[in-house]
Amino acid sequence: MFRRKLLALGYPQPDSFNTQDENQFRSIIVWLEDQKIRHYKIEERASLRSISSPDWVKALHSYLMDLECPYQQSEKNCVIEWLLAYAVRLEYGDNVDKYKGVTAETLTQAVTKPAPGVSSNPLDNLNFDDPDFKAGIASLSVLLQIPPHQDHVEMLKAICLLVKNKLSKEAIEQVSKDTGKVEHIALDQMELGFDTGDYIINEAAKVLRLIHLHDLRELQTTINQAIVGVQNVTANPKTDSRLGKVGR
Amino acid sequence: MVVRTYQEELSYLEKMTPNCWRIKKGFVPNMNVEGIFYVNDSLERLMFDELKQSCRSQGYGGFLPGMKQIGNVAALPGIVGKSIGLPDVHSGYGFAIGNMAAFDMSDPKSVVSPGGVGFDINCGVRLLRTNLTQKDVQPLKEQLAQCLFDHIPVGVGSKGIIPMNAKDLEEALEMGMDWSLREGYIWAEDKEHCEEYGRMLQADPSKVSGRAKKRGLPQLGTLGAGNHYAEIQVVDEIYNDFAAKKMGIDFKGQVCVMIHCGSRGLGHQVATDSLVVMEKVMKRDNIDTNDRQLACARINSQEGQDYLKGMASAANYAWVNRSSMTFLARQAFAKMFNTTPDDLDMHVIYDVSHNIAKVEEHFLDGKQKTLLIHRKGSTRAFPPHHPLIPVDYQLTGQPVLIGGTMGTCSYVLTGTEQGMMETFGTTCHGAGRALSRAKSRRNLDFQDVLNALEQQGISIRVASPKLVMEEAPESYKNVTDVVDTCHAAGISRKTFRLKPIAVIKG
Repeated sequence: MFRRKLLALGYPQPDSFNTQDENQFRSIIVWLEDQKIRHYKIEERASLRSISSPDWVKALHSYLMDLECPYQQSEKNCVIEWLLAYAVRLEYGDNVDKYKGVTAETLTQAVTKPAPGVSSNPLDNLNFDDPDFKAGIASLSVLLQIPPHQDHVEMLKAICLLVKNKLSKEAIEQVSKDTGKVEHIALDQMELGFDTGDYIINEAAKVLRLIHLHDLRELQTTINQAIVGVQNVTANPKTDSRLGKVGR
Repeated sequence: MVVRTYQEELSYLEKMTPNCWRIKKGFVPNMNVEGIFYVNDSLERLMFDELKQSCRSQGYGGFLPGMKQIGNVAALPGIVGKSIGLPDVHSGYGFAIGNMAAFDMSDPKSVVSPGGVGFDINCGVRLLRTNLTQKDVQPLKEQLAQCLFDHIPVGVGSKGIIPMNAKDLEEALEMGMDWSLREGYIWAEDKEHCEEYGRMLQADPSKVSGRAKKRGLPQLGTLGAGNHYAEIQVVDEIYNDFAAKKMGIDFKGQVCVMIHCGSRGLGHQVATDSLVVMEKVMKRDNIDTNDRQLACARINSQEGQDYLKGMASAANYAWVNRSSMTFLARQAFAKMFNTTPDDLDMHVIYDVSHNIAKVEEHFLDGKQKTLLIHRKGSTRAFPPHHPLIPVDYQLTGQPVLIGGTMGTCSYVLTGTEQGMMETFGTTCHGAGRALSRAKSRRNLDFQDVLNALEQQGISIRVASPKLVMEEAPESYKNVTDVVDTCHAAGISRKTFRLKPIAVIKG
């Protein structure tokens, strides 16, 4: 609990912190006020710092009042959560410029870098952010006529799907079996069934409908296969033409 | 009953669009909602002639005209929306045939009426396609007709060739097409392409009387008499290429098999049994109707529930019946062409119910409601993307199979969004009678009718030729008028047309 916020603030033992331990609870509040929040002047912090004093509870009470913390000190987890969040906010406010440059990409880069040589599979060691890799995806997508997406990893997923559904050995065999049967549906001739008032969203909804139908068809086919499986066990159709009688 | 002149009656009717008339409250007493009916010029004339005739006879002798019946249905407790007459509407027992009505399940006063379902419970149409062309079939037509006739017994008192015992029947009533699947009479895909997937889950065979079961047992796999038939048809016009392709119809001249039948004596007995019960219930629960034939019970009463469970069982029987005939038709074709039904691509395109009551979800004035929909002589026609239609038809809308009459063409339509809103997703079911059976027998000669079919190159096998004039095209409204009206009114859309080349009839 709180590990990520403590780590971010640079607290010495982020992994072993436990609010139920009264000593740790008191210490972290002092640490936060000393290092991060600094709401009081140094000389005003004396009563808060004396964590073994019987009056510490009163000191915390007035401290929380002064900070306008919405929680009572009996709700330890809430108080810590709120103080940590407050501290993080102050920390960020002090160093806006430093943190503004951090994005998900730069962070993953920083995190993934120190793990080379773990796997012998070259695919596992691919650097997904290598400019060459990005360029490769871009040219593949142009080749396959996939509309661009800002995230090149998403692009890669789309390419994988397309290759699997259209260009794999099985898919190509299926197409040659179905030649002449496959019908292309013009999107503008398809009825959506409702109107969102926006052309682009309507088109997107139609595409979603079609994808949904595709999934439904697969489900129904699986159901039919299951029925046929059961039929192999139960079916025993009989006719007896001697029973037949034409009426008048 | 107030006797009004024809002119006075007309003041309650208003033409809304070229294809649609409104029946205002007051046309018959106690109307809870308005009525509405769909016509074109020639069907309109038939409807108004019928009304005029009934005014002339001052309400004595003879039957109630369809318009009055639509009005009487609008006076039933719990009805919502409108009492709707489809273009093929004609007078029937209580409800007109071609009348649909919706009842609010959340209203404790709402009723279920056996007359709103009809005697032939889950009478319906199933269409099989083949990959044969008219050229393949033409030289073998006579033999094929005979072969079908040998496989599928027809006529009053006919008996089927699929051996059944009492236990099989119980299971079939409960399981519907799942029974046919288990026993291996049909393909897994058949279930997929059938309304309700060929099984009503609320069925309870214990609510079907012993008498009904006794009637039904030997009849499974038979066509019966009346307007029921099996036809070999060819595609003769395609109106909507995309929808036709989705149904596996690729070219003109493609051969199909249409089977039109129902629940035989079993369904009839279920309906009769329940009518007797309901007449008593109406007194007990103080339910008042304009017409004695509109016997009904509250949906949540014991009798109402019993009827719905019995009706569902009879519906299951009808699906098993059509499935058995599908099996027999496939065998007949395989035998004639020396191949397998698989190689002939004999898939079920769809299977629709004409006479049924079902619980459905609909939007009424923008609010979602659970309704009990009675469809008598009318077909469900759900629009594209409706969750209850098969995945293959999600883009086209539900196929609607409209059987013509002996010797006339049949149509396949699809459901539309407009139909969903205007008619609770309902459209016509066939041609609809214009002459009563007795009148047809008096006015027509059976030999003339048979000769006329022969001249059109239609092979025919009938169990009782002396009754064919009852089913002659002259006795019916023009099916093309009926279908065109539905198309023009927008409550369903034409996909393709079929014409018969061989007919098997009771």
